Amino acid sequence: MNNEYIPCPARVASVRKETPDTSTFAVVFQDEARAASFKHAPGQFVQVSVLGVGEVPISIASPPFHREYLELTIRAAGKVTRALHRLGPGDRMHIRGPYGTPFSFEQARGKNLYFIAGGIGLAPLRSLIHLALHRRGEVGAIRIFYGARTPDDICFNQDLKRWHDAPDTQVRVSVDKPDEHWQGHVGVVTSLWQTHELEPSDGVTYVCGPAVMLRYVVEKLIRTGFRTDDIYLVLERYMKCGIGKCGHCNIGARFVCTDGPVFSRSRLGGLPAREWLL
Amino acid sequence: MRERLLRKERIKDLCMAARRDWEIYLPLEHVGGDVQFVRLEADEEIESLKRLRLDYDSLVIPPKTVAFPQHECLFRFHRNEITETVAAPNRKLLFGVRACDLKGIRFLDDFFRRGFDDPYYRARSANMLVVVTVCTRPQPYCFCTSAGTGPSLPAPRAIGQRSNTGFDLQMTDIGEAYLVETGSAQGQHFVDHYGAFDGQVPPEALERAHRAKQEAAEAVHLRVGFDRAVQRFCEGKVPQRVYERMAERCIYCGGCVYVCPTCSCFGVFDEKNEDSGMRCRVWDACMFEGYTRQAGGHNPRFAKWARTARRYEHKLKYDYLETGSSSCVGCGRCLASCPVNIGMSQVIQEVASL
Repeated sequence: MNNEYIPCPARVASVRKETPDTSTFAVVFQDEARAASFKHAPGQFVQVSVLGVGEVPISIASPPFHREYLELTIRAAGKVTRALHRLGPGDRMHIRGPYGTPFSFEQARGKNLYFIAGGIGLAPLRSLIHLALHRRGEVGAIRIFYGARTPDDICFNQDLKRWHDAPDTQVRVSVDKPDEHWQGHVGVVTSLWQTHELEPSDGVTYVCGPAVMLRYVVEKLIRTGFRTDDIYLVLERYMKCGIGKCGHCNIGARFVCTDGPVFSRSRLGGLPAREWLL
Repeated sequence: MRERLLRKERIKDLCMAARRDWEIYLPLEHVGGDVQFVRLEADEEIESLKRLRLDYDSLVIPPKTVAFPQHECLFRFHRNEITETVAAPNRKLLFGVRACDLKGIRFLDDFFRRGFDDPYYRARSANMLVVVTVCTRPQPYCFCTSAGTGPSLPAPRAIGQRSNTGFDLQMTDIGEAYLVETGSAQGQHFVDHYGAFDGQVPPEALERAHRAKQEAAEAVHLRVGFDRAVQRFCEGKVPQRVYERMAERCIYCGGCVYVCPTCSCFGVFDEKNEDSGMRCRVWDACMFEGYTRQAGGHNPRFAKWARTARRYEHKLKYDYLETGSSSCVGCGRCLASCPVNIGMSQVIQEVASL
């Protein structure tokens, strides 16, 4: 009988340092049949274990068409993520999933796509950005607005440069606190665009970042004229099971792990604002 | 439906016969007079059965522990090798459950098996037969008649597969015997299989059982505006100050959650010694500040009143909207166990009278 609580061993193939406290782990399932059967969609997450330490939910940062490995971008923030950061190539972690309701690529078809991310919040959006660029002809313009605390906290530097050079794709990056070398924009992520620059009527927006950022970004997007159906957010919550049982990620009657983590703003509308805005 | 009689002196014989086919769980008196719903241990049945108390006041801990124990191993590991530890799906006889607690069991059956079918809960609950005893000793904090969960349950019109709210057997104390009603095919099979049940039921036994049920209902003195409160919660008409006032008094010990027959939240943790260890799940409480605190420090439910709101809205609003039935069973345990005298019945009354 299939037991969703049992994770599968996976080998760390490589580790790429993104920032002083964040790294991207490329991992490969030890069992080839598991590797072949594993299929995810952008926005989904996996439960990642270090046996004896614990388990945490981590967004999948790589796109579904990358079959050779799975990329997990992890910030060393707690007990388990610090243990994960001690792993290097060849070491084992354990993974189960994928879980959660993903982004709908169908919804993006033919639309201009606006991605707004803060810090490590770019990780789940990166999977969709890669997919959109992979199927470039099927979507309109791509605009990426990315904010980080300092220049050192910018994740996916290589990707940002590559995306900037892609056809009809624009990347704007801002930092809250510049260093002496920073020549780019300074300010919160919402200062990266003027409301008249975006076209709400045929655009879809994807937002992920810290809770306080979500609040201001959503406010500005609504002011810009986006319908609440066209504003997608990826929420982050403490979770234990990932499959709608442990209760930790509950918001109202919904589970972030199964009903989300991707929610449209309109779907969040019926849930208590104090629980997702704060 | 054909009723049976179970004479009280035959209950021990029934348990001794049934223990060959079933894991038996029943209310036994423990140190200090507390009655606990526990497994009948092999080799000590005769001694244990002397402590059987079917007419108990109430159980501190609800019988949800049979399928959802407070602490449960999910798997063991040695280095990178994992060994699954799902319990064997043994046949379990739950003998002497109150009607309100049956609602709790059926609620959790539905919750754990809808969506992802929880393999641990499934294994423990799959082959369970529940024998309800009609409550004759309602406590001052009980409000099952308002919640519509007890003290007795209506018998089904026809015996087929059990409905997800029904009993397998229901027993009513009529003095020297229990009148036994059958609620499911499994229950029917049980009374047919064991010789302890008497098929000759005089009409006055039925009359006495009927009266006993009526008297039990009348003995539940606490009446609250349950439906009205649920309606107000569902309409979002409960002002924040109701929660804030409770938050001033609540010490956030989690006691009400642990004793609640329908609370299902759990935490998961790993234990490790050298190369070996296990992953366990353990009851958790949404009243705790750490329940929603993320590793990065963000806590979407940091405020005490927001945690209080979560608990009451979950029971009286969201579960009602999701399942068509509130998950408060009216047992009153939350009030009985609360060190600062807060209970679901008080919240319901306050909201109903707004």
